[in-house]
Amino acid sequence: MEWNKRARRESCDVSLLLMGVGFGLITASVLAIASVGLTLQFGVTNFVNFAYGEFLTIGAYLAYFFSAVANLNIWLSMLLAALLTAGISWLINRVVIQPFLKRKAPLLILLVVTIGLSLFLENGVQAIAGPSFQQYVTAPGAIVNIGPMIFTAQQLVIVGIAIVLMTVVHLLLKYTRIGKAMRSMSDDPDLARISGVPIQRVTDLAWLISGFLAGLAGVVLAINVTSFTPALGSQFLFIIFAAVIVGGIGRPYGAMLGALLIGLVTEVSAMYIDSAYKTVVAFAILVIVLLFRPQGIFTSRGRV
Amino acid sequence: MSSLVFYLLTVAIFFCIYSIYGWGLNLQFGLTGILNFTYITFVAIGAYFAGVAALQPGNGGIGGQYILGWHLPFPIPPIIGGIAAAILALLVGYVGLKRLRSDYLAIVTVSVGQIVWTLIGNITPLFNGWDGLAGVPQPFNSIFQLDFNHYQWIFLVICILFAVLGFWIIERLTHSPFGRVLRAIREDEDVAAALGKNVFRYKMMAFVIGSIYAGVGGALTIAYIGAFNPSGFTTMETFIIWAAMLVGGSGNNRGMILGAFIVPVLFNEGTRFLPSTPGNPLLAVSIRGMAIGLLLILAARYRPQGILPERKTIFRLDGLQQGGEVGGDRVVPQ
Repeated sequence: MEWNKRARRESCDVSLLLMGVGFGLITASVLAIASVGLTLQFGVTNFVNFAYGEFLTIGAYLAYFFSAVANLNIWLSMLLAALLTAGISWLINRVVIQPFLKRKAPLLILLVVTIGLSLFLENGVQAIAGPSFQQYVTAPGAIVNIGPMIFTAQQLVIVGIAIVLMTVVHLLLKYTRIGKAMRSMSDDPDLARISGVPIQRVTDLAWLISGFLAGLAGVVLAINVTSFTPALGSQFLFIIFAAVIVGGIGRPYGAMLGALLIGLVTEVSAMYIDSAYKTVVAFAILVIVLLFRPQGIFTSRGRV
Repeated sequence: MSSLVFYLLTVAIFFCIYSIYGWGLNLQFGLTGILNFTYITFVAIGAYFAGVAALQPGNGGIGGQYILGWHLPFPIPPIIGGIAAAILALLVGYVGLKRLRSDYLAIVTVSVGQIVWTLIGNITPLFNGWDGLAGVPQPFNSIFQLDFNHYQWIFLVICILFAVLGFWIIERLTHSPFGRVLRAIREDEDVAAALGKNVFRYKMMAFVIGSIYAGVGGALTIAYIGAFNPSGFTTMETFIIWAAMLVGGSGNNRGMILGAFIVPVLFNEGTRFLPSTPGNPLLAVSIRGMAIGLLLILAARYRPQGILPERKTIFRLDGLQQGGEVGGDRVVPQ
């Protein structure tokens, strides 16, 4: 009798854990797309873009425009929004960032510029779209049960998108010349330059890819949290930072693993403690990694 | 008292407080090159601890849930606020300043800002949660028993005293051997380390002292307004101070005074009168945020040294000192 009760409680615990793992997989998918975008751009340009969170916000709001105002399908809206965000990201690099690089502005000034940009963009979105909550008009689709894990069809699509994108990024980095050029710039920018790598074109491409992934991540994040405000991206940014730093900053594969780790740990912890403290858990991981393995837990040597 | 005098007094008080904020940030960024992207969190911690040190014990009911409640007389709460901010700075600095590139500390500060904000809002027994503290006693007014209008004069005098003391200390620090090491670290960390300076220690000291300025400034703010809640420390507030520093002249404490006048006072007060639209209640706030962001970018682009640039010492063979605005980044022993 007593044994039965305990067994039931334990099986209950396990199913709670697995439920958390299910949620974690979805969060990890969103996070992986966003983290790889940030870390790719860092690898090539060697500075952190603090306006990256706003790229997510812009993607989410563009998709809202396409789906709610122009009545397009949500996935088509997502694709259009991601392409447009890629363009905006490219433009921002050309118009705002490049003038500073040409004058060889110090890193500190560059970081101040990206944070000024983040303030400008977030308030810009808020000025245009208003501060209130928005929501896509989509059906989450059929409920799919895999053991105790519960997914909606939409969430499974998100996981699928993440897997496809990560594979594409892997193939790009590993087998194309442009991917090799990106990795070489990440390794040693000066050596890459004197070896004839077209720095400008590779940098442009890095911002395009980074913007595309950010825009797309913004849309799937907005779908996942159901309702969003112009603070969507800036509130998510430091969770992206946590994933990127856990994996070793500038390392795309590290970012994927970091996203998986942060996604799983935060969502599983939310099964046991108040979910308002999810971000605190992500922060704790960030602090522990910075204290004990600042180069990232999945790395042994220098950067990529 | 006319409303104009009242308004000018308020502006003067905030001008003093923003100068104090600015000197702290200037010590961190302008002098040492530390990126603190959540300076306002240190202000908030100072304000909260000063607040609960000055308040009567909470009754535990609505509006009365907070720690301490020591009901201490005035000069003590700002000291407690300063200490609280210093302790937070020690913790943050320990994680973010050690053997890492400068962007890591920036990332840590951004994260700490979010976390402290979430924790203070959600843990009501600390500082009364999202509602925040209210009814913090005005310094010395139990003696003077003045109404709010006349009390403004007393508070202005208190603020001026704090500002003068703050300016004196920061100028002494800036021009001391300590300040010289900080400038050397800003220009080239590796060189400073090669000369035997413990870079981490110096950076930590600059970070902590700068945060004490934030904490004391926060303590004055809560003593003046009498209330404080999480909506008072948003990212935008941090960057108003940043913009003031960049516009006024980073590395120059006098420039900081100018910046504290131009940005928070003129700029913030000026955009306050933007018309409000019924469809978008926060339109004026959003436009102000865009303007602050744009100002940061433009200041960094066209005049990163600010209106009053830092005066750099130039090496001369005859041993005489010559101050002036120079293009080079040389820092030489005097």
